[in-house]
Amino acid sequence: MTKLIGITPSRRSLLKGMAATASALALPGFVQAQSSAPIKLGFQLHRTGIGAAYGRWYERTTQAALKVLNDQGGINGRPVEVVFEDDGTDPKRGAEVVEKLASQAGCDAIFGPLFSHVVIGSAPRAGELKVPYLVCSEGYHVASGKLNRWTMQPGITDVRAQVSSMAPWVANNLGKKVTMVFPDYAFGHDHRDFFTAAIAAQGGEVIKHIAVPPTETSFTRYLPQIPRDTEVLYHVMVGPAVLTFVKELGEFYGSGARPEIFGFIDSLEAVDTAAPGLEFLEGTHFWEGHCRVKQADASEHETFYRAAVGVDDNGASVSDAKDVSTYAHMFSTWETLFLIKAGMEAAGYQGSADRQKLIEALEAMTELPESQAHPQGSKIFNGKLHQVFGRQNISKVEGGKLVRVHQTTIDETMYESDVDYTAMSF
Amino acid sequence: MRRAAAISLLWPGAALACALPPSIIMTLPTGYYMAGAAATVAVTGLLAASPNLLPRMEARVLLRRRVLIPVMASSYAAWVLFLALVLIGFIGARDPMHNLLTLTIWTVVWVALPMGCMIFGNLWRAVNPWTAPIRLTRQLLGRSTGIGLARLGHWPAVLGLFGFFWFYIVSMSPDDPQTLATAALSYWAVVFALGVLEGEDWLEQGEFLTVYFGFLAKIAPFWLERDSTRATVKYGWPGTQVLHMPPLSPSAIAFVTLSLAGLTFDGLRETFWYMGLIGENPLEFTGRSAVIGVNSLGLLVTWALTATTILAALRLGPLLQSRPVLAFAGGAVPSEKRPNLMPVMLSFLAISAGYHAAHYLTTLLTAGQYTLAALNDPLFRGDDFLGLPPFYVSMGFLTDRWAMTLVWNTQFTLILGAHILAVILALRLSPEGVQARAHFPLTALMVAYTVLGLWLLASPGG
Repeated sequence: MTKLIGITPSRRSLLKGMAATASALALPGFVQAQSSAPIKLGFQLHRTGIGAAYGRWYERTTQAALKVLNDQGGINGRPVEVVFEDDGTDPKRGAEVVEKLASQAGCDAIFGPLFSHVVIGSAPRAGELKVPYLVCSEGYHVASGKLNRWTMQPGITDVRAQVSSMAPWVANNLGKKVTMVFPDYAFGHDHRDFFTAAIAAQGGEVIKHIAVPPTETSFTRYLPQIPRDTEVLYHVMVGPAVLTFVKELGEFYGSGARPEIFGFIDSLEAVDTAAPGLEFLEGTHFWEGHCRVKQADASEHETFYRAAVGVDDNGASVSDAKDVSTYAHMFSTWETLFLIKAGMEAAGYQGSADRQKLIEALEAMTELPESQAHPQGSKIFNGKLHQVFGRQNISKVEGGKLVRVHQTTIDETMYESDVDYTAMSF
Repeated sequence: MRRAAAISLLWPGAALACALPPSIIMTLPTGYYMAGAAATVAVTGLLAASPNLLPRMEARVLLRRRVLIPVMASSYAAWVLFLALVLIGFIGARDPMHNLLTLTIWTVVWVALPMGCMIFGNLWRAVNPWTAPIRLTRQLLGRSTGIGLARLGHWPAVLGLFGFFWFYIVSMSPDDPQTLATAALSYWAVVFALGVLEGEDWLEQGEFLTVYFGFLAKIAPFWLERDSTRATVKYGWPGTQVLHMPPLSPSAIAFVTLSLAGLTFDGLRETFWYMGLIGENPLEFTGRSAVIGVNSLGLLVTWALTATTILAALRLGPLLQSRPVLAFAGGAVPSEKRPNLMPVMLSFLAISAGYHAAHYLTTLLTAGQYTLAALNDPLFRGDDFLGLPPFYVSMGFLTDRWAMTLVWNTQFTLILGAHILAVILALRLSPEGVQARAHFPLTALMVAYTVLGLWLLASPGG
């Protein structure tokens, strides 16, 4: 509880910036005046609209990363500013935000959007304006090849990798006969398609797909559709009715036998798994992109990251134990900011004329070892796909806390693809 | 794809204007609450049969004192503050939750100030940013006459309120500091110009904020009455002042029904029910840009339905009257002898006020934190103007069962209290000699409104 929200930029970083300016002036001819000016980055923030809960933590994480980055000397010795602009979690506004940040605010690069439909609506504008656009969305739309040379996802893995890499462990440890319960729209369909194929490759089978309309608020009529011989119930319900879903699922099975249960933490991101009403989740498993509860073998980088963002060992805000963060996803903004730094330094970035060089430098990256810049863990960036790959976690709810029971390798998350963004023109 | 997800669970402010995450409320027995509230309002309506049981609503004097700060001074200060905020809107932080203009307009002016007016009377009168500039300008120009705007009644305010609701509920980016600064400054300038032409008294019927706050303040249990040198603080049952108001003109009725409709639609548009109606997936809401047309229509239709049902109830009631208002002997009741229930329209001010407070309670608790933080440290330099301990904006209560149960019960109390008050006011405002049966349509409507208000607050929203 030592910080106020929104330290943009801190006094210290301003002083550092001024010091950098002073030292630049002291070395005439060594650097141009422009190169001592702050590097300006745009953050496309879901401040309002349906993405606002994620937006709040994405901003908080980015502010923390920015402070660390500036305290460490910025990028190429230049201080960094981040301009946060709200896109209302709206694709049309998203495209306008990209334009504002690139053209009006003069940002060198833009990062941060999460929701897939906003990314898909905004990325074409970034391509037209030729501004690096680094998304934190998990969507498969980047790796699918349908975006452009200027758009990449270097800070978080995509849904295809996440879902597919769960199948081997589920088949070997929980069971091979799977029933899937998912909301009946694109998000649920991705899970259905990727997991059904992946479990089949493991000799398993999805014996029933139960698609629930997104506006449903009670699930009692769907639960009896779960076949009796189900060994694993795979659920990805999301939205306001999630607590009702868990409650009704608990009532459906009562205290009797139930199948193993596997879900995605997206259902309960930013919700305390120990909260009353969620007791039924005890002993069930979840995918987590980044383990919310600090694990026994947590690295020093993980510890540093938590402290910097102001998150406690349970993944909640240090100032409010009930305020659980969007921990499984928000690391992506931190890692993306440090990747921009790495990319700009590799490219010898001077100004907006070097935007293309930044993209090329990022495309050339491969291994990203676990470090302060990558607290979630080591990753491998695929420059052709514009997509990063990393380890996935499976956690079990034990005593209301998510305890990791398995971590995939990076190789397990990779898939074949013939997409090659580097062959596209700028 | 995947992101269109759990988010609404938590949503701290899908815009400063978003409903609370109903996840916990959805697990509460809200159906019983609604049934209980409906029964309570209906039973209150039975008081029509025994009007002597109605509370005597009389104003009492709490204290008298000299006027400490003349309205001209406080209005002038508010105007200067307004200009400073507009400047912040244009050049300050782009993030709406870090911009004092956005935060002040949407959490102070539209949420905290109305709540204050409902308790302490017309606080807006003191901080109206037009009064002083208009009066001073008119004095400088030597203007003492108007141009006849008063003949338009409340219609300019109706237009202003509709524009406001449209901007707030429907338009693409009401939170964007520059957009908001442009809109606020433009509106200020238009009203200023009209006020200079007509005189500052015109604000009371032509400027929607002045009208709206003035109406809400009529519900307050405390209020201030002042002449040029003396101020009198009075108190009484909530709504006491309403009994002394003249009946509403047609344009004022349009204003009150629009204010109810706007608030209703602001809640309605976020419900799964409405999303389903317009073919939007609430879990993957496309965004405001996709629903501007249909929501504009929705706002208009809601207004039409609200006005129609209220006016129908007020007209239908007198038809049920079986004997003339004044003791008349036998025979059919001639239409001119039927009671006029239109003065009862004033009772809907209580519903407006209660729904406003309940609907924006979570906005106050969420976005209000950002406002405090921004007031404490407006330039984000680590200042501490309010002497607050360092804090992170925190939304933990939204997923806490105890806290959300408390929030729900508070909203329930506000909605139920407002409707009980409305029923009592309706009975008190009725002309002498109105039979209990003439109140049935109105009481039925109040019951329906109670359930609707609670349903909007309990519904899952995207």
